[in-house]
Order: sequence, then structure tokens, then C-alpha cells
Amino acid sequence: MIELLMTVLSTTFFVTVVRTTTPLLLATLGGLIADLGGALNVALEGMMLVGCLTAVIVSVFAPWYVAVLAAVLAGALLGGVMAFFHLRLKADIILVGFAINILAAGGTVFALTLATGGDKGTSINLTSKAVPALDLSFLDVIPGIGDFLVRMLSGHSILSWLAAFLVFAIWYFLYRTPWGLWLRGVGEYPAAPEAAGIPVNAIRTWSLLVSGGLAALGGAQLAMFNYIGFTRDMTAGRGFIALGAVLLGARHPVGALLAALLFGVFEALAVVMPGLFNWIPAELIRMIPFVVTILALFLFSYRALQARRLRSAGH
Amino acid sequence: MSMTTQAELSRRDRLKTIRREAGRALGAALIALGIAFVIVLFTSKTPLEAFNVLLTAPMSRPRTIGLWIDDVAKLTITGLAFSLVFQARQFSMGVQGQVYVGALAAAYVALSPIGATWAGLPVGVFCAMLAGAFWGFIPGIAKVKFGANEIVSSLMLNYIAIELCNFLVRTNLPKPQPGVLTTNNFPETAVFPPLVDGTRIDLGLIFALVAVLAVWFALYRTSWGLKLRLVGHNANFAEYAGIRSTAIMVSAMTAAGALGGLLGSMFVQGQTYGYLTVLFEGNLAFEGILVAIVARSRPLAVPVVALFYGYLRQGAQLMNLRTDVPSEVIGVVTAIIILLVASSFSMPGRQFWARIMGRPTTAPALEAQK
Repeated sequence: MIELLMTVLSTTFFVTVVRTTTPLLLATLGGLIADLGGALNVALEGMMLVGCLTAVIVSVFAPWYVAVLAAVLAGALLGGVMAFFHLRLKADIILVGFAINILAAGGTVFALTLATGGDKGTSINLTSKAVPALDLSFLDVIPGIGDFLVRMLSGHSILSWLAAFLVFAIWYFLYRTPWGLWLRGVGEYPAAPEAAGIPVNAIRTWSLLVSGGLAALGGAQLAMFNYIGFTRDMTAGRGFIALGAVLLGARHPVGALLAALLFGVFEALAVVMPGLFNWIPAELIRMIPFVVTILALFLFSYRALQARRLRSAGH
Repeated sequence: MSMTTQAELSRRDRLKTIRREAGRALGAALIALGIAFVIVLFTSKTPLEAFNVLLTAPMSRPRTIGLWIDDVAKLTITGLAFSLVFQARQFSMGVQGQVYVGALAAAYVALSPIGATWAGLPVGVFCAMLAGAFWGFIPGIAKVKFGANEIVSSLMLNYIAIELCNFLVRTNLPKPQPGVLTTNNFPETAVFPPLVDGTRIDLGLIFALVAVLAVWFALYRTSWGLKLRLVGHNANFAEYAGIRSTAIMVSAMTAAGALGGLLGSMFVQGQTYGYLTVLFEGNLAFEGILVAIVARSRPLAVPVVALFYGYLRQGAQLMNLRTDVPSEVIGVVTAIIILLVASSFSMPGRQFWARIMGRPTTAPALEAQK
């Protein structure tokens, strides 16, 4: 137990948490944007997966930032497909989302086979690139805490910093710009913005495009930093955990950050625990993020339900 | 002079609906296959052979026909499970997890002393259904008691069930030798007898057909089914009509869970395995989404859709083995079919074709166009 405590309180654990949280956070922010626009985006998983593969394949031929951009565009494209079928052809958003997931699960393996010339499981024969880590070792010159700051802040993926910035940017967008107000209005009660002459369907389309782009950005981080390369189904439910985080985050970007951080901590625990407790079976350790997600979902939903009951009882 | 009775009219109406839905499904399948063909054309060295295998190979030998029919039985069950929850407008995605816990329960029964007696088969199936029902009950009760979203909780339970199965197979269940990830073979009394010798067609097919009739009866000939469909149609209205919609939701998810558990026992107690191994279901459980959507969640249409889709699935497997096209290409076909059937898509250019053939546009065509 002492060992676990020592590990959890160490700066290396903090770095691990940032690494595991970043893909989750980006996907959660994507889910949040779609959710605010009134669409539960169950396709986050598939969008992340496509983001992973696109990033890996493009990075073989192009610099890392082009690969990341390509991943974002691929995710946005899937968001566009969702918007087309949901808004134009009136299909149920959840069924469309699962169709996207099926398309991604099969399509990525198929595309990988083509790209590698026969490998069906991994991209091990492709030399893909990584997202560079931001080196902040110059902070060392600060007396007293310099060394600590370097160990905490240096070496994170650039996308981690971007994700942290996006939390702020999305908050600003939602609560300080008219478009954010429109988006929230569209999700809350579409008839009102419609009557006010706000283009409801255009806003929903944009929210799905951005949602797909953010989820795929999370995928890019996963395949170009957390792991280098693609393996089939490498997202392993992270998109669905992010969907849980969206529900947990109370439809607020800071809430999304906290929820993603919670799941990121437990994923990081699952990363470090095999080294500490080799008597705990690996399967049970791998189960941790899913068990935590479902328990957190139950607990949070229950509290939200009670809050709603109290409020309606007060009137 | 014939009187057109109400019953006659509704019968005609139903036939018209069936024809329209079948036309839409076939149209969607043709478009999806067309797109798949273009993809194969550009990526395969032998595209024609690949497509030939996809479309003809499952029928070529008794063994492959057996594989196909076995798949149809399993697709029917998962399609029924999804149909039940979709009719109640719940999006519980937990069939995969129910399959794993069901298979675990069946394996524990089959490898216990009971397994070696005549009771091994029925008790195994029963316990599998019980375990699956419990796994389906959790997201249901969490939804009505806590308001927890059933999509997320059922998906999490899938991953948990898979890891649970991995864990128990590796550490707890009896194995032929240490290190392998399969259990001992089940005693013969616990394995479904084959219906056709030398193929995988076994008692599971009978279970599937019985399940179709049972689900149809429950949905369309009992008050529970009427309530369930009302809740699915409009939960608020159902509440006003005095139906406890929460109880209906939970019971629908639990019943679907029992079907998922049955599918688990069909996997491990069937001729395909006859033992439990890790990751045995090969993503079949989720294919139920396609089957249920194309069948419009109608239990009697489910086996028909399963028959067609099972053929395509087997064809893809054989194409994977015999040509350079991976079976995953079928995922593209599946996704396109779901997208087209679930949306308001109608056969493209129906009016155009009608004009070419010199026929006036008929009423059903106009209706489908809406």
C-alpha cells in the first residue's frame, strides 16, 4: 500500500496521468460539443479509431503536424456523414453512431491491410512518427521549485497542452460568444432558436463536425504519443468511456476535464499497478477503468436525479 | 361483388408494408454490395474471383452450408435480443457481455458433476439465460433507479464481462494443461446434439426458431408486449394510460439479456466449440444491430434477415481465406446497410425507372419517396 501511495504521489505518475487523460479529454470535449448540440455521439469510439489509423498512415509520408491535421479532418468527415444521415435523411442518431463504429472497426483493419500489404493486426512495419513532447527544461533556472516544475511540466505531448487550452477555449466559446449561446440553445430547446431565425441544422452539423475532429485528435494522441503505431481496436473502449465522461461532466467543459481526469487517473493506475502488485491478475487490472466508469455513472446519475427531485419538490 | 372487410384491408396494408420494407432492405444491400465491389475492384488483384467467392462459396459444400446455418441461428438470437430492446426504444448494447456471462455460466454447469448427467444440457442453458438476464437487468435497473444512461453502462458491462471470462478461463476453470486459454471439453451430455451429422447445425437452430415464436408471441399476443410497444412508441402516453413504463423497460432489457445468455450457451455448448475459450464470439453479438434494424425489430422478419446476412458473413470469411480481400470489408457493407435502412432513404430513381418502363408512378412508390 505504501508503495502504491509513493507511486501515486510521484511526479512520474502525474506525467502518466496527463498522458492517459489527453485522448480521453479530447474525445470527451468532442462528445460535449455534440451533446450540447442535442446529439449523443456514440460514434466517439469509431472516430478515435479512424483518427489513430489516419495519423499513423499519414505520418509515414508527412511531418507529424500534417498527420495530426489529417486525423482531425478524417474525424470531421465522419461527423459530416453522421450529420448527413441524421439531419438530412432523418436516421436515428444512435443507430448512425453505431454504424460509424462498425464502419471504423472494419474499415481501419481493411485500410491497414492495404497500407501494409497484408498485415492485419498492427502497423509494426510502418515507420510512423510521434507527436513531439514540449521541452520546458529551461524552467530549471527558477530557484527552489525549478527542478520540481521541470519534472511536472516538461515532456508532455504538445497535444496535451492543446487539450488543456481547448478546455478554456471551449468554455470561452460556449459562455462568451453568441455562437456558443446558439449551440446551447439548439441542444436545449431547438424550437426557440428556430423561431429566432438561427440556422439550427447548420449549427448541429458544425457541432458534429467539430465533435468528430476532436475525437480523432484524441485518436492521434493515442497513436502518435501514448503508443507509436496502430493496432486493431487500439482505442479499446476509450470512446465509450469518454461518452460516460460527457454524461458525468454535467455538460460543462470544466466538468468534462474533471471527469476525463478521473478516468485518466484510473487508467494510469492500471498502467502502473502490474509493476507494483504482480499478484493481482492482469485481467482484473484491465477491468478497472470500465468498473470505475460504470460506478461513477451510477453515482453521478443518482445524485443528479435527486437534485432534480429536490428542485421540483421546492416549487 | 365482394365486400372489402376491415380485416382484408389491414391484411393488404400489411402486405404492402412488407413489400416496401423488403424493397428498401434489398435496395440498401445492393448499394452496399456495389460500393464494396468498387472497393474490391481497386484493391484486389483478383476482384472478380473475390466477389465470386463472397457470393457463391457458402453454398458450395455441405460443410460451408453448415457454417452458414449455424451463423443464421446465432444471428437470429442476437437480432431478437436487439429487436426486443429497440421495440421498447431502449438502446441497451449489452448482448456481447451477456453472451460472455452466459457462456461462463454454461461452462461452470457443464464442467460440474451435473454436466455429466442428462441434466447437463438443460441446466446449462437455463443458467446461461439466468446469467444473461442478470447482466441485462443491471443497465435497466440503473436507468430507472438512478437515471444512468443505458448505452454507456451496457457497453462498460461488455468489457467487464470479456475480462471476467478471460480471468476465469485462465485461473479458475479446469483446463487440459496449464497455460492454454481453453477449458476441458464439456462432457457429451452437456453438448447440443447435431441435427445434421458432420456439420455445425445443432440443437441451437431449434432454440433459435422457438425463440422467434416466443418473442413474437410475447410482443404481439400478450398484454406485456402491447405495453412494451406502447412504451417504445411514446413513453409519456404510456404513463398517462397507466402503464408503469419503468417496469416495462427493465423487463424488456432483462428478457433481451436472457436471449443474450442463451446465445452464450449456444456458442460454448454447441457443436462449434463444446468448450469455453477466451474471445470466442468473434464480434457476432453486435451484428444483431443490423439484423434488428433491417428487420424493423419484427421478430418474424429477424430469421429472414439473418438468413441473408449470415450468407454474406460466411461469404466474407471464405473470401478472407481464399483470396487477398480481408473479411473486414464486410464491415463497410454492414455500416452502409444500417445507414440506409435506418434513414428515410428510398430506392433511388424509382420514378425515373417507372418513367423509363412507361408505367405511371404508383402510390407505394410515392409513399416510399416521403
